Amino acid sequence: MEARPALSIQRSGASQLSNHGVSGGLSPSLPVLSTHLEETYQEFSDTQEVHAEKELMTRPLAHTTRLPTNNGVVGHIFSTSSGFSSDIHYSSALPNEKHSRNSPFISQLPTNTAALPLSQSSNSLLPQSTIPIHCNKENSGSWCTDPDFLDFPEWADQLITGDDALASNWNELLVDNVTDLEPKTTYQVAKPCTTVPAQNQQLPSPSVESHSVVNPSSSANNAPAKPRMRWTPELHEAFVEAVNQLGGSERATPKGVLKLMKVEGLTIYHVKSHLQKYRTARYRPEPSEGSSEKKLTSMEEISSLDLKTGMGITEALRLQMEVQKRLHEQLEIQRNLQLRIEEQGRYLQMMFEKQKSGLDKLKVPSSIPENPPAPSDATNDNESPTKSQLEPSQRDHVNSGTGIVNAKSMLERSPQEICGEHKAPETGDLEKTDTCVSESSSQPSKRPRIEE
Amino acid sequence: MKFGKRLKQQIEETLPAWRDKFLSYKELKKLVRLISSAESPEFGKADAGAEFMYLLNNEIDKFNAFFMEQEEDFIIRHKELQQRIKRVIDTWGPGGTKPSEAEYKDEMAKVRKDMVDFHGEMVLLVNYSNINYTGLAKILKKYDKRTGGLLRLPFIQKVLQQPFFVTDLVSKLVKECENTIDQVFPVEVEAEIVKEQREAITVAGKGIFRNTVAALLSMQEIRRGSSTYGHFSLPPLDFPDSDLIHSFQLNSPITTV
Repeated sequence: MEARPALSIQRSGASQLSNHGVSGGLSPSLPVLSTHLEETYQEFSDTQEVHAEKELMTRPLAHTTRLPTNNGVVGHIFSTSSGFSSDIHYSSALPNEKHSRNSPFISQLPTNTAALPLSQSSNSLLPQSTIPIHCNKENSGSWCTDPDFLDFPEWADQLITGDDALASNWNELLVDNVTDLEPKTTYQVAKPCTTVPAQNQQLPSPSVESHSVVNPSSSANNAPAKPRMRWTPELHEAFVEAVNQLGGSERATPKGVLKLMKVEGLTIYHVKSHLQKYRTARYRPEPSEGSSEKKLTSMEEISSLDLKTGMGITEALRLQMEVQKRLHEQLEIQRNLQLRIEEQGRYLQMMFEKQKSGLDKLKVPSSIPENPPAPSDATNDNESPTKSQLEPSQRDHVNSGTGIVNAKSMLERSPQEICGEHKAPETGDLEKTDTCVSESSSQPSKRPRIEE
Repeated sequence: MKFGKRLKQQIEETLPAWRDKFLSYKELKKLVRLISSAESPEFGKADAGAEFMYLLNNEIDKFNAFFMEQEEDFIIRHKELQQRIKRVIDTWGPGGTKPSEAEYKDEMAKVRKDMVDFHGEMVLLVNYSNINYTGLAKILKKYDKRTGGLLRLPFIQKVLQQPFFVTDLVSKLVKECENTIDQVFPVEVEAEIVKEQREAITVAGKGIFRNTVAALLSMQEIRRGSSTYGHFSLPPLDFPDSDLIHSFQLNSPITTV
């Protein structure tokens, strides 16, 4: 690694929030940088990086492939990001000291220490060119205006050059990250944010492009020190195996278990907390949050059942099961519906965008007068021929679902020029909706009842 | 405000440890209102959007953390219950090491109770996930409506992939639990049971059962047609015996608002 100072990134649960707040009025460069880095890192490490910050950060970052440049080791880290990654060892923390630009970049990586700083600091430096545009509002101003930033040693340049690849890997890391801290998320009130002047706010906030963040529900995990791992029964099996081999839950140590399990990406913290839970579960059968209360209420339940209804416990339990099953069933159905609704929404949005871009090319004149309720023919004549092709497919697709997507509400921002005023059809006339994909935003947003 | 009210209700009735893990719907709604009204140049749309997203992301983090923690617990407990059943059968069951019908029955009854409660708790977690999702979807819709933003669609896509929304594992555990219960505690005479159900008035005072009942009814309420019912809304929910379910609530000692 080059002899360059590195940023120390220390993370703490609270600091992320405080930094968010603090960064509101930051002046020195490094704080901004580190804050931003922390944010992004935080996102990356703790959470699903389905966060704006991450999106913002990664969007400008190249979408190239693996990290080639400086660090083979880093490459190694990133290379498995898609699966159950080995990058767990990112235990670097984000800096709290923000004022020493040359503070050493400490990565607490157990294994890949050297590698990380590079990627991370490079990432942080990258912002100099691109991120400022997209970074969190708290930083944006500082980024752009801070002169100190520009004084970074030349290694910054080196890093920046190699950045794209790194960045994309960063992206991938983030993408695959599943983890989650115990985010003692105090609800960060508006204040710190509001005070930040709306600077270079090129952050097109709502339009977080659908970088579909893949969050494998399996235990993919790229997180640092205190990550949240998503356990699976299989993993747990392996855990129990290891524990038993070591002589039981009392005798087994986290370290021993970790070693035995030989699962990539598992850290001792994971094992430790899991072991704790395991022990509790064994020695207090059926514990749970509020278990004592639950036990109390269970007893009360039983007695109340017996007394008030004369229902045996068995019947009561059966009834309980029935209700629970019912609820679960309904939840599943509901969830599926929700998924489909959104799917269709996405589909229509995509269609709309396609049409829009197609239309833009044709430079359709903006003044298309009110269309009659059956505009299919008219508009098709005006618009690109692809539309008519799209229409039937849309129709098929859209009508197949139970959740009928409201194209209008989705596309309410669509420019009127494409289709002028088009009266949104009632229930089943989605074909018409689709032909004239964009509708006037003057449509009332309260929709009439639709049939399922 | 209907959803907000329902949500609040559910929160009140939920397990105490869960109370602060739900969506801060009301606060977010207030924020949306604030954003839409305070359109100063300082606090531009973009800022507001970013901040709003930041808050939402925090909420999501909260959900994810809680959900995954619970999930982990469930995995552990599920296995433990299975093993416990096995132990009971092997020890006190017929053909076990110390067969004893009394003990067997006794222990089995306990296990059964625990299993049913466990099942309920898992279902409640799925419900938790769902209701938070619903809340998020609504809040996003409100935001878009108020501020003319286009936050909803992409953001909700993101949400769909969050760990807390992907409830597959928990659902699987629920099903496994059901299977186990059905196997180990086979259902007896059906007709009688149905009759007894009809006759039952008060069943649950507090606890899991009450929560599930509340959740079920809540779901029904939330999905009742509303004024803003639109293409993105879920169809209304109709339980054939919702009266029965309602009756579970009627006599509860704690009045439901």
